[in-house]
Amino acid sequence: MSTRTPDRRTDATSSRREHTRSGPSRWSHCRKRGVDGSMRTDEHERTDEHERTEGRHSSFTTPESSGPVSRCAASSDWGSQVEDNEMRRDLHRDLQRYRRRILAADGPHRERKASSGSSGSCDSKEEESLETDEGVLLRRQKQISYGKNTLAYDRYIREVPKHLRQPGIHPKTPNKFRKYSRRSWDQQIKLWRVKLHAWDPPTDNGTQEDNEEQLDLGDIMDIELDFPTLAEPGPQAAHAGVMEDPEGTGTPVKVQRMDAAAASDVV
Amino acid sequence: MSQIDETEAHPTVMENSTDEYRFQSFDPDTQMLLKTALKDPSSVDLEKVSNIIVDQSLKDQVFSKEAGRICYTIVQAEAKQSDGNVFRRNLLNRLQREFKDREDMRARSIHEWVCYVTFICNIFDYLKVNNMPMVALVHPVYDCMMRLAQPDALKNEEEVDCLVLQLHRIGEQLEKANSQRMDQLFFLLRDGFLLQEGLTSMTRLLLLEILEFRAGGWMLSSTANKYYYSEISD
Repeated sequence: MSTRTPDRRTDATSSRREHTRSGPSRWSHCRKRGVDGSMRTDEHERTDEHERTEGRHSSFTTPESSGPVSRCAASSDWGSQVEDNEMRRDLHRDLQRYRRRILAADGPHRERKASSGSSGSCDSKEEESLETDEGVLLRRQKQISYGKNTLAYDRYIREVPKHLRQPGIHPKTPNKFRKYSRRSWDQQIKLWRVKLHAWDPPTDNGTQEDNEEQLDLGDIMDIELDFPTLAEPGPQAAHAGVMEDPEGTGTPVKVQRMDAAAASDVV
Repeated sequence: MSQIDETEAHPTVMENSTDEYRFQSFDPDTQMLLKTALKDPSSVDLEKVSNIIVDQSLKDQVFSKEAGRICYTIVQAEAKQSDGNVFRRNLLNRLQREFKDREDMRARSIHEWVCYVTFICNIFDYLKVNNMPMVALVHPVYDCMMRLAQPDALKNEEEVDCLVLQLHRIGEQLEKANSQRMDQLFFLLRDGFLLQEGLTSMTRLLLLEILEFRAGGWMLSSTANKYYYSEISD
């Protein structure tokens, strides 16, 4: 009788856009893991990985890609799909856990419903100001993971146990379940990342090298950089800002989107 | 003599404990690499390991049945050791590349194609995420099954054999993941069984059995079991 035509899905599959994974960026020498997920060793980081093309990861399926692709774009490779799925499930689980934690903390405060207006504890407000949008949570989680995937973070958590952390001095991971505006959240992440840099591994010549090159936040996600441009020599990047290192070592930290030329000008 | 000393001094020595994974088909260096990957994944080139495993699975059908278990162990070990996903990602993306070229693969070698299907089904079976099969693999596995159910494939006992074997192993899970496609698959199988000319009696037997198997809720009634699987007595 009639023979079925090949499944239409196979055509759809092959025409789907491939997600590209580029090689390491020039700022990746402080990252614990490469963009392909493999662990980096110290020696590995010293080479100029940005130039390497023959070292391209074999899952790099679109050779004509021009550069890093935002991870927020839909990934059609199975590896990413499975990871995203897993992340989503982990998020849901975390969300449930967080909810339980708030509710548990909320209980004892029920009686203290004093005057109208805010009570001393914010816990009862937590439930209302809970961020539950999956897309937002995923993005935030990725930003957090990106920050935790650094040697600095590794060294930090080993050096300073949680109970010894002092607010203001020690970086604290932003709470992804609280409602914040996009800008507020991005800023918290930025500040958190900057603070973490104090724990960057020292370089061969003993100094903390090239802080301005370490923040490649623009590399993978669309963070709005609208810092006021402070006095700095020859800014070439469209968006640039200079922040004092909060640890008070005096090393200026520059947040740039790109442009190596500008970086070389910085003190 | 020295071998005995080894096993006594190190009860967990690679020698015997990983025999179950059937690494004999590999050369000694590769065996060493694979065994290390199982115990200390971050110390090896996981991309290379995943390629070795896939390459072998495409050649050796016996291995491709086992490979799922090996992969699962490495994935777990890596997650535990370094919270990493390198191996899994490399494995999946390699599988995806082969999947894209599966028609060419089949044209080149039915055997390789059958090994591939066995392997991907094995991975689907073993590599669960939070105890659920990986959603990303559901459609590709179905695509493979559908291909095996095409008239030209039904003519090859090798392909039919693969089809029914995999459906026995993962049919129920597949159906749970997407019952509509399972229905479509079985339309093809019924058509093939009823209408296609030139099928061997073995093929028809296999098809009938799988039709009954699914109809019985992914198991055979005892009478059907007796029909298909008992030795013919007197």
